[in-house]
Amino acid sequence: MRKPVWPPLARERVHFVGQPVAAVIAESAAAAADAAELVQIEYRDLAPVTTLADALREGAPQLHAEAPGNLAFDFESGDAAAAEAAFAKAAHVSRLTLRSQRLVGNPMEPRACAASHDAGTAIYTIYTPTQGVNGMRGALSALTNVPRERLRIVAQDVGGSFGIRSPAYPEHAVVMAAAKRLGRPVKWVGTRSEVFLGDNQGRALELTGELALDATGRILALRWDHVANLGAYATPFGAWVGTRNLTVTMGGVYRIPVLYGRARCVYTNTAPVSAYRGAGRPDIAFAIERLIEYAAAEHGLDPIEFRRRNFVPAEAMPYKTANGTVYDSGDFAAVMDDALARAGHAGFAARRAEAAARGKLRGIGVAAYLEAAGAGAAPKDQVRGRFGADGFLTVWTLTQSGGQGHETTFAEIVASGLGVPIERVRIRASDPEADLVGSGVGGSRSLAGCGSACRVLADRIVEQARPFAAEALEAAPEDLEYARGAFTIKGTGRAIGLFALAERLAGPTPHPLDALGEGTFGATFPNGCHVAEVEIDPDTGATRIVRYTAVDDIGTVVSPALARGQVHGGVVQGAGQVFGEQAIYAPDSGQLLTASFADYPMPRAGIIERFDVHPHPVPTGTNVLGAKGVGESGCSGSLPALANAVLDALRPLGIATLDLPFTPARLWEAIAAARGRALSRRAHAPQV
Amino acid sequence: MRPLVYRRAASLAEAERLLAEHPAATLLAGGMTLIPTLKLRLARPSHVVDIARLAELRGIDGKDGRLTVGAATTHAEVAGAVAVRRAIPALAELAAGIGDPQVRNAGTLGGSVANNDPAADYPAAVLALDATIETNRRTIPAAEFLVGMFATALAPGEIVLRVGFAMPERAAYRKFAHPASGYAMAGVFVAEHRDGVRVAVTGAGPGAFRWREAEAALAKRFNAGSLAGLEPDASGLNADIHASAEYRANLAGVMARRAVAAIQ
Repeated sequence: MRKPVWPPLARERVHFVGQPVAAVIAESAAAAADAAELVQIEYRDLAPVTTLADALREGAPQLHAEAPGNLAFDFESGDAAAAEAAFAKAAHVSRLTLRSQRLVGNPMEPRACAASHDAGTAIYTIYTPTQGVNGMRGALSALTNVPRERLRIVAQDVGGSFGIRSPAYPEHAVVMAAAKRLGRPVKWVGTRSEVFLGDNQGRALELTGELALDATGRILALRWDHVANLGAYATPFGAWVGTRNLTVTMGGVYRIPVLYGRARCVYTNTAPVSAYRGAGRPDIAFAIERLIEYAAAEHGLDPIEFRRRNFVPAEAMPYKTANGTVYDSGDFAAVMDDALARAGHAGFAARRAEAAARGKLRGIGVAAYLEAAGAGAAPKDQVRGRFGADGFLTVWTLTQSGGQGHETTFAEIVASGLGVPIERVRIRASDPEADLVGSGVGGSRSLAGCGSACRVLADRIVEQARPFAAEALEAAPEDLEYARGAFTIKGTGRAIGLFALAERLAGPTPHPLDALGEGTFGATFPNGCHVAEVEIDPDTGATRIVRYTAVDDIGTVVSPALARGQVHGGVVQGAGQVFGEQAIYAPDSGQLLTASFADYPMPRAGIIERFDVHPHPVPTGTNVLGAKGVGESGCSGSLPALANAVLDALRPLGIATLDLPFTPARLWEAIAAARGRALSRRAHAPQV
Repeated sequence: MRPLVYRRAASLAEAERLLAEHPAATLLAGGMTLIPTLKLRLARPSHVVDIARLAELRGIDGKDGRLTVGAATTHAEVAGAVAVRRAIPALAELAAGIGDPQVRNAGTLGGSVANNDPAADYPAAVLALDATIETNRRTIPAAEFLVGMFATALAPGEIVLRVGFAMPERAAYRKFAHPASGYAMAGVFVAEHRDGVRVAVTGAGPGAFRWREAEAALAKRFNAGSLAGLEPDASGLNADIHASAEYRANLAGVMARRAVAAIQ
């Protein structure tokens, strides 16, 4: 991996519009803004490269001496020779290039940090909303060369993240340096303009897939050639997104004997790309399910039967894919049947005919997705339970909510494990004093990892409390049974409640019942089948999502309302990408042309008119809850389901593929051109 | 935002005096455009003179075939006013479709026409409803008032007091909202008056304009079919990263047909 140095403030060359070049520290934000306007920089313009095609062109301007050809990484997974052989004997081959366009993460709250430096201890205290204090400690230590033990990170309330807040940023280092030099706390809060220009961006991938089929429609091999736009510098997750996450589930829900994927990561003069809700997994799910649909249409196969014929069967679980990923559980055929029934798939032809009578193009799109939810980077997950004098059990975790509702879910797990009311359990996240090992938020792993540790904690507390309860009840520990929050001497009515026992033992610190819940929990493979139904107005190109059905195998569901909310959010975030969002850089100047909400459309409430979300749990054995990830699966389902629905609506016009985003202007142009209208000039050409 | 002096004028006379005393002062009504430009430091007035509550800029009155609306009337007030709904229901509907509830409850008619955003809704209405803009100095016909993109005939120190609209026989407004901003990608106001049909297009070009070809077609027969295949000439329309000029021309044709179909 060729990884150039990313200085907190640009030196000699500015590599992307939005890269910090100078910092002003002042007594007030207004004074700092005034002073920043006085900074005069004389730039000498260099020719930029903003797209993959530009960056890989012969003779292209070179961004970094360390990365000839602007190439950071050339990656392979699977068996190239076996793929070559399989394609040579294929009866049918389909090939499709898809672009997952560059997006701006746009969390509700812009990035922020406040730092102070204690000259006596040389310890920095940094308040910053992030996805994990341990990860941020490591990243900031690497960025600043300050040892980890001198970094105290506090992350309490996080106003949305989607991956964007995970890494350390230049602003963190600048604020730390300023706090040390000035000997007083320094704070920075970004603006929405800085979100657009300076935050790491998402997606920016070009994926080309080739599918080899035998004469009966069985898949012989699947081969990918990906190119990832890393932006100007390598973020900690940029190449991870563009390589590992695109290939780990590159065969999706299908039993494919031969898999091969190549991925190249490329530098361009654009904002650096990092993990963004799904981080490559929605992109590959989108590409697989578009390719499946495209191949079915190309070779006259029924797309549902084509899928069914090639699914990994439930009885083949655990299933090891051709490139070595082990899916532990799943029943893809049952999930698809459930989704098709709930979506009224069989009755679609009548709905299409009714829409046609009104002059509308109606389409239905099916996507059977699978993605890999992370095991986390830390060796294990720990949570700490402390009984306080206030009569509450406080559970300290390393994963804090960025809007997901962990404080509800984790409390539910501990409370139900102990059989106590949920209001007696408090969740406190990301306190530096908690001193825990574990991963932060990311890869849809919080429930499987931290949630499982919470379940273990409940059991640990009961076991730890048993001898004390025996003493209190003057009984032998083995004669006690624990249920509904109390120890009871078997066969008697004599009992003591857990919190009564805790109160009785109060005094020493740590409290004798304080416990650590921990464990190592594996990756999970959330999957599902989403069915979208859209109606396109051919006069304007506007699309309505008239019906959306999501049936997801997210394993055991702990908090149904929160799980449903995650699916809603993920699906709608995917809808934003399918129908409008796109970060566009001017190829000649490198300026971001979509740098505000006036030019960058976010999906709005109500975009999906009828929304049916149903869990179809197939519990996993890789963690004690049986839960699979849910935070990002909505995107993995909705990108392909919505795109397939639009292409299904357009197929009668002879349109087989079209680049995202499906804006009204782009759809109208495609429809008008298909109907024979000569267009002198198309709207902005898609780019990655 | 840079430091500035905020003054709420107690009367029209005080507002005029403050503008005269401070050449770098600017007027504030709803602030829907001014406040964001202040925050981005694009506007740097020395003083902001708030005229949103001036009695002289309030009131809705219909008589002699004209509806007069005070400049400080918010979009929500226009949308909800019985006098507007009775006299020109299409104008009330237009106001009800501007921005979002926050914008409609702060933004004003006078602020919108004085700003003359090329994608705002009201400019189409003032052209199609043969409006006159009454200021503290004179009365200006809409066609002369709207000079160009973000430009009007207003002189320094001149304040819009009210807008007078001709009550049409029938009228309708249809717009296609920009997916990001919500402003009109193309908005078409069609009004049939006793003395002729007026069709005005906003959002598609560098400023709102009357579409004479559509007016002539509808004057012959007021029916959506009369506009079949008609589009404004794309060569003068906007083309940008969001859409081509041809798409905007098509949208203008579609919105015009839909407006007519709603009232034919």
